[in-house]
Amino acid sequence: MPQDTPRPADGTGLADRLPAFLFPRLSGAALAGLLIAIFLLGFLIFPVLQVVYVAFIDPRSGGLTLQNFADFFATSLFRESFVNSFYVSAMSVVVATIIALPLAYITTRFNFGGSALIQSLGFIPLIMPPFVGAVAMSLIFGRNGTVNLMLREHLGFTIPFMEGLNGVILVQSIHYFPFILINLSASLRNIDRSMEEAAQNLGSSGLRLFRKIVFPLAMPGYIAGAVLVFIKVFDDLGTPLLLNVNNMLAPQAYLRITSVGISDPMGYVISVILVAFSILSLWASFLVMRGKDYATVQKGGGGLAKRDLSGREKVIAYGAVLFILALVLSPHLGLLLLSFSTIWSFAPLPDGYTWANYIRMWEGSQDYILNTLLYAGIAALGDVILGTAIAYIVMRTGIVGRKCLDYMATAALAVPGVVLGIGYLRSFQGIEVPFLDKPLAQWWVIIAIALMIRRLPYALRACMAALQQVSVALEEAAESLGATKSRTIRRVVVPLMTGGILAGFVTSFATAAVELSATIMLVSSEADSPLAYGIYLFMQTPSGRGAGAALGIVAVIIVGLGTFLAQIIIERDKKLKTSGTEH
Amino acid sequence: MKKLLTSSVAALGLMAGGALAAEKIVVVTSFPEEMTAVIEKAFETAHPDYDIEILNKSTSSGVKYIQEIASANTADVFWASAPDAFEVLKGDGKLAKIAPNATGIPDMIGSYPMNDADGHYYGFAASGYGIMWNTRYVEANGLEPAKEWADLEKPEYFGHVGMSAPSRSGTTHLTVETVLQGEGWEKGWADWKWMGGNFASVTERSFGVPDGVNTGSFGFGIVIDFFAFSSKASGFPVEFAYPTVTALVPANVGVIANAPNEKGAVTFVEYLLSPEGQKVLFDPAIMRLPVNPEVYAEAPEGLPNPFEDKSIGAAVKFDVDKSGARYYVVSSLFDVMITYRLEDLKAAVKAVQEAEAKHADGSNAEAKALIEEARALIEAMPITEEQSLDPAFNAAFTAVRKEAGDAIEARQAEIEQQWDAMVTENYRKAKELAEKAAAL
Amino acid sequence: MKTEMLGIEIENLHLAFGPTRVLTGVNLSIKPGEFFAFLGPSGSGKSTLLRSIAGFGPRPSGAIRIGGRDVLDLPPWKRNVGMVFQSYALWPHLSVQENVAFGLRERKLPGAEITRRVEEALDLVGLSHLAARMPNQLSGGQQQRIALARTVVIEPQVLLLDEPLSNLDASLRVQMRRELLALQRKLGLTTIFVTHDQEEANSTSDRMAVLDKGVIQQIGRPQELYDHPANLFVARFLGTANVLEGRVEKRGEALRFVTGSGDALPLPMAAKAGPSSIVLRPQNITISPLCGPDTIIGQVLHSEFLGSQIRYIVQAAGSDLVIDKSHHMSEPTLPTGAEVALQVNMDSAVLLNA
Repeated sequence: MPQDTPRPADGTGLADRLPAFLFPRLSGAALAGLLIAIFLLGFLIFPVLQVVYVAFIDPRSGGLTLQNFADFFATSLFRESFVNSFYVSAMSVVVATIIALPLAYITTRFNFGGSALIQSLGFIPLIMPPFVGAVAMSLIFGRNGTVNLMLREHLGFTIPFMEGLNGVILVQSIHYFPFILINLSASLRNIDRSMEEAAQNLGSSGLRLFRKIVFPLAMPGYIAGAVLVFIKVFDDLGTPLLLNVNNMLAPQAYLRITSVGISDPMGYVISVILVAFSILSLWASFLVMRGKDYATVQKGGGGLAKRDLSGREKVIAYGAVLFILALVLSPHLGLLLLSFSTIWSFAPLPDGYTWANYIRMWEGSQDYILNTLLYAGIAALGDVILGTAIAYIVMRTGIVGRKCLDYMATAALAVPGVVLGIGYLRSFQGIEVPFLDKPLAQWWVIIAIALMIRRLPYALRACMAALQQVSVALEEAAESLGATKSRTIRRVVVPLMTGGILAGFVTSFATAAVELSATIMLVSSEADSPLAYGIYLFMQTPSGRGAGAALGIVAVIIVGLGTFLAQIIIERDKKLKTSGTEH
Repeated sequence: MKKLLTSSVAALGLMAGGALAAEKIVVVTSFPEEMTAVIEKAFETAHPDYDIEILNKSTSSGVKYIQEIASANTADVFWASAPDAFEVLKGDGKLAKIAPNATGIPDMIGSYPMNDADGHYYGFAASGYGIMWNTRYVEANGLEPAKEWADLEKPEYFGHVGMSAPSRSGTTHLTVETVLQGEGWEKGWADWKWMGGNFASVTERSFGVPDGVNTGSFGFGIVIDFFAFSSKASGFPVEFAYPTVTALVPANVGVIANAPNEKGAVTFVEYLLSPEGQKVLFDPAIMRLPVNPEVYAEAPEGLPNPFEDKSIGAAVKFDVDKSGARYYVVSSLFDVMITYRLEDLKAAVKAVQEAEAKHADGSNAEAKALIEEARALIEAMPITEEQSLDPAFNAAFTAVRKEAGDAIEARQAEIEQQWDAMVTENYRKAKELAEKAAAL
Repeated sequence: MKTEMLGIEIENLHLAFGPTRVLTGVNLSIKPGEFFAFLGPSGSGKSTLLRSIAGFGPRPSGAIRIGGRDVLDLPPWKRNVGMVFQSYALWPHLSVQENVAFGLRERKLPGAEITRRVEEALDLVGLSHLAARMPNQLSGGQQQRIALARTVVIEPQVLLLDEPLSNLDASLRVQMRRELLALQRKLGLTTIFVTHDQEEANSTSDRMAVLDKGVIQQIGRPQELYDHPANLFVARFLGTANVLEGRVEKRGEALRFVTGSGDALPLPMAAKAGPSSIVLRPQNITISPLCGPDTIIGQVLHSEFLGSQIRYIVQAAGSDLVIDKSHHMSEPTLPTGAEVALQVNMDSAVLLNA
């Protein structure tokens, strides 16, 4: 493994060594912002433009045109796809909220055994390994999956969980609700308990209290999560493809771009529209959230008072939590069964169980696992560094054009992985890596960078939410004591953001660990392949399904353990921060 | 670090004039690892001075990959099933012309030419297309195994069939084209639409079809033979049949233009075509039909010999030029009429099936007429075969301008929108008519 | 806006957070209409006690009765006690008007009545012109008043104030506490006021309870507590106290207090012989020019000019005594190191048996 090669774009060190006249009147933050902007331009905007400029080219004359966009809106299939994508995204937010809200509320509001475990388990659905995840899902919820086979046998009817747009909504909600869970929980934890007590004191309780006071106060976190779900679902192609739903924008873009040899610009037109619409949604969420920065007006802190549950409430709460967890984790249960199964075909459960899949997986997959840890680790680390820096620049400085950093980074959410992959090949194939004598596009580091860019929006959201909760006064206090800006950030701001940064790291790491769409274009040798690619290889043969599932389980376990650890650290961090308050 | 060392060691070795380390051959392939691993091992045993590096990509990603890295090419061999993918690369000038030393391989397999006439790629194994089914599923649903395309059009298979799309998978494209050539343009498309009406889904990847049949998501899959053979070999309760109208086509291998190791690449191709390499195809993990008739003497039981059993693929005289000429039009038509409008098509087909079931005796003339009209609407094609073969029309789909002055009349998006408007309206009307007939 | 005045009875209240005892054996009776203060240092349990009355935090054992009704098993939202929080806890997503109307809406009053009563309440605190503002557009003092208006508008049975002035600056604090008192008198609300500031407690409350380590040390009127502290803690917590340790000795009929250093002071009050301590306020020791029979000798360690008086720290009788001397024009300050005779006003001394 080439672990000890230096990572590029490592930040500000370079600037210190440059003569001052090169950067007149540039503060450290502005310089960092500039470097980040250059990094994003180089590794996101430029490669993507290399691909999507086709959207603005007239295929007949080669000249610039907006005709393709006119075609987009003139095509009823695309108009329908747009409406379908919008409908599915909006409904997914609703269903994901229904799933996430009870989990977030119960675990943050009550003394509830295993809160950290539930929060971690609630995160697992984000880690759906490619292909095997789909197979496992259809084995459980599909037309002839476990649930429907049993329903048909015992009750004589079936439920089309995985069919049509509603199927997409269900699967997407199960997949992406953790975004809401994570952000909402963080917000709920940060509500000053007196906010809730004041309402109780004035006669409010239960759901009314939640609806009128607690939830509106948690709105910043909720919106952050909801907009992520919305954009992600809008741009996601994996699930619609898995359910073979084509009449949505993202799969339309993907299907058209990846068709062999066809140079129809519409795929790229749709990509541009996806990116534009995602940025629009984000901007809309900014508008909604304007003036709702509640962090600075809350003085006490300490989070919602945790209450003990009465016996009856306990039964209801555990019932609700277990039901939700059972629902959202059933694909992973299916994956587990699949990984131990001999043959599983048209039956509620596998025909038999075996270790053979794990043995077979282990024989050829150590490299994949190590590569994944390396790439996802680098990507997530880079993401939280970039995320913290961007969050700080956007929220705490007045640098001109700072919002652009945010928009650029978030636009990555809407760039289909395959577009980024092709863009990298197109942009970096001609650039030689010094000393290695191979093109940059074929160096393993480029995979890590692609993952970093793809997952940056997740880390960025988490870092922004965390920074929002750090009062400016704390920063000013440090500065008044003589700390320099960079020291203040390092010693005060970043430590206070630990929870959020860690959450961002985990989200980036976990989702990068199972990412495939960009990597499949960039893998240039098997020795450099990550785990998702290994699953892809296994899944191409019927006999490789079990081994692929076993590798998927390894991914889930690695990421799940990491998440659990992070949860424990976040909880401990929380306790440390609140131990000062007394009544 | 390790890699840095090995590459510099290799570089030193080369400079010293003697290839101390094994020479690398980079192979881009869509074949599953189980198959490539076996062949890689066999090849490296036979040629210890070479080291195969497998890069597994789907056919379409592989083609894109080779196109994108061409400016600083690092790949030597492209190795995949679909001849069309090779045609695309060849048309792009990305395949080198080679003349491998191989004997005993006929020029044709069935009615399909074994190799590229210009020597850019070579067939090394044969595959046929057919119907795969899940025996448990078939039994549970009280169905008969379908062995001909026509069977899959029957109403009892409604919602039980799965297939990939020709725009997604080169092998699927060949299947579609085989039926079109075997049955004729109009009849062939009508067949596909009636089969399409019975689809449970159109999968995005070709291996989504065997997956669907293996898990029992749907009962029948239209697949390439080795998917079925290897599923069965893995223990899944599945069976496979070649319909009468099918074609045997070669899976191919070609050397990439400007290959860093062209000599090694050619050696690999020659190995695949040698009797020794051909026999490796009998490995249970591969189960493909060799193209050298002699090696069938050692074939495992159950593997058909297309050079003896002339019934396989004999009915269709596959015209590669025709297939190539309208490649994108066929893919696009299939997507517009079936993939993207599956729900509309299914609704129309279901309505017709119900109306026909109700008036099975054919005594009600009015109903019969309505049903006939509905059928005609479903089967109606937006373009004729002549149009599909018109190079000017096809140019709208490839839009690779040969010269700046080339005028292309229509844009793909525009054409597809016209087709879409026509078929959705037809499907809607057909459903209406069929419902009217059923109500009589 | 006049509510029925209710008293509060607290009986034998105990509360522990795990092994830490937060409240121990609290017994307290607050009269209807009384302005009552809980005074104590941080960690004394005063806020916990207040929150127990409001129904927040874990359930204590014992009894809390408001107007004769035991409320211990009622949830906060059924107790009808109004509480103003230290942080004001104005909801940032609701306007001033909506904040104040919240409790009335919860009570499902008709819209017209809500509007009227919100206006009244805002008038009461003099901020009706800010009804449309959002809380983060208000100054600290305004937020405080809105928090108060939000609480009194529901006409609670009792009003609980949790360090309501601690987030205000000094001048505003004095003004607000007068306003608070005036409002309380006007509404006649039984009110409990939690503070760690003795001046605040002294200046507002009818009676107060001094708490330390979860135990009520003494209950009484502010002056009573100052003049007759029940123990050293109360003596030290209320005002400045010089504490002399020693023993009471009987010489025939006369009682005297002998300090550890051997200085003897006559005791005018009845007392038992034995180890004891006396509390002397700074103003009860005078620096006299002459040595007398009841004077003790000391040495000036430090002096502070405070305007109306000069505060001396004098080492005498084995401890450092704080002595306040009225300042008169052109009178010089005694230099550090000067030997002085101290005249102790033993009539004002408080004797505490150890």
